[in-house]
Amino acid sequence: MFTDFLTGFALLLDWSVLVANIIGIVIGTIVGAIPGLGPVIAIAVLIPVTFVLPTVPAIMLLLGVYQAGIYGGSISAVLFNIPGVPAAAATVYDGFPMAQRGEGSRALKIALYSSTFGNIFSCLVLLLVAAPLASIALRFGPPELAALLLLALTVIAGVSGGSMLKGLLTGLLGLLFSTVGLDPIWGTFRFTMEIPELENGLALVPVLIGLFAISELLIQVGKPDPALLMKSSQQSQESAKELAAKNHVSLLELWKMKGVMFYSALIGIGFGILPGIGSTTPAFMSYAFAKQKSKHPEKFGTGIAEGVAAPETANNAVTGGALIPLLSLGIPGDAVTAIILGALMLQGITPGPFVFRDNGVEVYAFLIGLILSTVPTLIVGRIFLRYAVKVLTLKRSLIFSTVLIMCVVGSFSVNNSVADIAIMCVFGFIGYALRIYNFPLPPLLIGFVIGKGFEEALRQSLLVSQGSVMIFLQKPIAAVFVVLSAIILLWSMWSAYKTSKSR
Amino acid sequence: MKNTFKLLVLSLSLIFLMSSLACAAYPERPIKILIPYGAGGTTDIGVRMLASIVEKDLGQPIVVENKPGGSGTIALAAGAKAAADGYTLTAVTSSPMFITPHLRNVSYNPIEDFTAIMNYSGPYHGITVPASSDWKSFEDMVKYGKANPNKGTYGTAGTFGGAHISMLYVEKLTGSTFTHLPFKGSAAATAAILGGHVNFGIVPQYADHVEAGNVRVLAVLDGTRDPDFPNVPTLRDLGYDWEFASVVGLVAPAGTDSSIISKLEKAFIAAANTAEFKEFMKKANLPIRIMNSEEFSGVLKKNYLGYQGAIKELNLTK
Repeated sequence: MFTDFLTGFALLLDWSVLVANIIGIVIGTIVGAIPGLGPVIAIAVLIPVTFVLPTVPAIMLLLGVYQAGIYGGSISAVLFNIPGVPAAAATVYDGFPMAQRGEGSRALKIALYSSTFGNIFSCLVLLLVAAPLASIALRFGPPELAALLLLALTVIAGVSGGSMLKGLLTGLLGLLFSTVGLDPIWGTFRFTMEIPELENGLALVPVLIGLFAISELLIQVGKPDPALLMKSSQQSQESAKELAAKNHVSLLELWKMKGVMFYSALIGIGFGILPGIGSTTPAFMSYAFAKQKSKHPEKFGTGIAEGVAAPETANNAVTGGALIPLLSLGIPGDAVTAIILGALMLQGITPGPFVFRDNGVEVYAFLIGLILSTVPTLIVGRIFLRYAVKVLTLKRSLIFSTVLIMCVVGSFSVNNSVADIAIMCVFGFIGYALRIYNFPLPPLLIGFVIGKGFEEALRQSLLVSQGSVMIFLQKPIAAVFVVLSAIILLWSMWSAYKTSKSR
Repeated sequence: MKNTFKLLVLSLSLIFLMSSLACAAYPERPIKILIPYGAGGTTDIGVRMLASIVEKDLGQPIVVENKPGGSGTIALAAGAKAAADGYTLTAVTSSPMFITPHLRNVSYNPIEDFTAIMNYSGPYHGITVPASSDWKSFEDMVKYGKANPNKGTYGTAGTFGGAHISMLYVEKLTGSTFTHLPFKGSAAATAAILGGHVNFGIVPQYADHVEAGNVRVLAVLDGTRDPDFPNVPTLRDLGYDWEFASVVGLVAPAGTDSSIISKLEKAFIAAANTAEFKEFMKKANLPIRIMNSEEFSGVLKKNYLGYQGAIKELNLTK
């Protein structure tokens, strides 16, 4: 094993590996920042390119895109209130208020550093304990998954910001939208209204773009003053020195957040190893967790560093987590790892129980490469954010017309479907209507994201138990999650009761 | 009259000459292959590898275009509508050819709208149990399903996929009943078998997990035995009149010139027989099952009609 490790390391010492990796990181950051485009599309487009490359550069190119893509998504979340990828939706909560205060570059730095931490931490875990974690992942059958997603829904319900009732209502709306399309168990159509394009359900990307980006554009169109771009006016008032001081991120500040970053990384890895959950849920989950554990939960949502660090650590930690079942079982956890699986097979590497025996050298090369590539990611990220912040000083009409074009392209490119552009527009108006009546949007997204998996797992469990809900208490792992959900629910009801009484 | 006849003969022979010239020159520009699934899937990587070998032979680049969605029907609908000039081919698999057209309205007829070129693969589907299972044979499973109706659970890649429909038919033939748990794709179903969350599953690409000792395969749904596991019986070996023909092949729109079809057939079959392709497929745990145009055409027709009958018998029709 140790010789494999060293030989793998030696494979990385080639300029072509570094070049491929940097190209991947640059592409990943850019597509991540563009609403609608993301690592999934970029990696799918790059598959034919990897075909002609040698194994290590090919995979390092794709892993660069994967790693940087999620960070890229936070750029547009922070600067425009529009998450570039679904996983960055939770970053909007505190990232955008920071940008409005003129601390956009500070928020992006925190996002970059915590992303880097999440990456390194999860890759180290992958390197050291991949096999035992994979066997834990296998213990999660339908009842365990359903209970875990129930816990996630319960925890996340509490962070809607503003009215709890409105948050729950939009969350339910999200759950409802997730039922459109083929029934996962019976294969019958639900809410498809005989429109063939709805048969496979609503795709995540057009829903996300519609809700966040199109609604934001509609709101901006209605505003006479460049409210979003307060920063540029502030810039002229404040001296460059003050601004630089305001946007400085010290090591001490990061050190203070070590707790937040540590358990956010654990949440990211934990969700990452389970197939089919993706990185959006853990990002929200760690945000909610950070808020609940915080000494000053009321500050969450007003633009504080922990509010950016928690989701950004978690969504990047998913990377390493998702590679665990991919490499050791050949089972991809999400859309991106499914494509990476194909790329590996094109290179003659078949992930599965024998991958370390048959291709140990290459696999160690990827794992070490993933950790080392955080260095170019940091450098590219720093250069990128310097220019990204400048975008805010452009004319509003220029920014938003470009964003609109990107949104249309992004929605279309998921399935090459015009219907998805229509879905994006419909959700744009839904998002707009919800926002003018002060309904928070993130609960809708999270309901939509969790809904499909939760329904599937719940109904599979009930099929196994022949309709008895006791299955969720008979299975020990599931029982723990159910009890935790109940405690959190009762506790939040109790604290709400107490505050209403003291008023 | 005589002149008219001469003119007719002349023009006819000219047409023949020109068309044969056109065929001799084929292909003059890049050929496109539509893939009904996303980049990086097993169908996608197999076609890409095959195309990279055929390109050298035909002297024209082959562009692989992924058109995922609609359980594979979107790409087939586009492929059926394409010009019958041999420049747009479609990679086809069992579900959108045999099954989906009987369950949903699709805009193509899998038999009338396509001409078969060749088949090169098709993963074996195994009735797979966790290593800890008490069932040592297919008969053990049937016995359990008869004694405990609907108590045993099985996972597949999705509702009304080939595996699910096959199992519904097997239940009918054997008189046993089980509860079906559909998963999102065969990878998730395989994970459920490995974790022991279902009593068995019907999944492709089980080889590594069998070798690692994590699962056992009781039977394969295919018409022939999996060459990697020659001791595992087919359903027919066990005396049940059913098979799930797993195909992955190439078709052209109906009406494509027969000389173009035979040129493509020869080139792709030669490519599928190269050591390079065999080595690649072996590493990816994908079988090579070569059929020429005539054989493939027969298999397509037989299974299309077979599933039509089975789906009617099971009362699943649209």
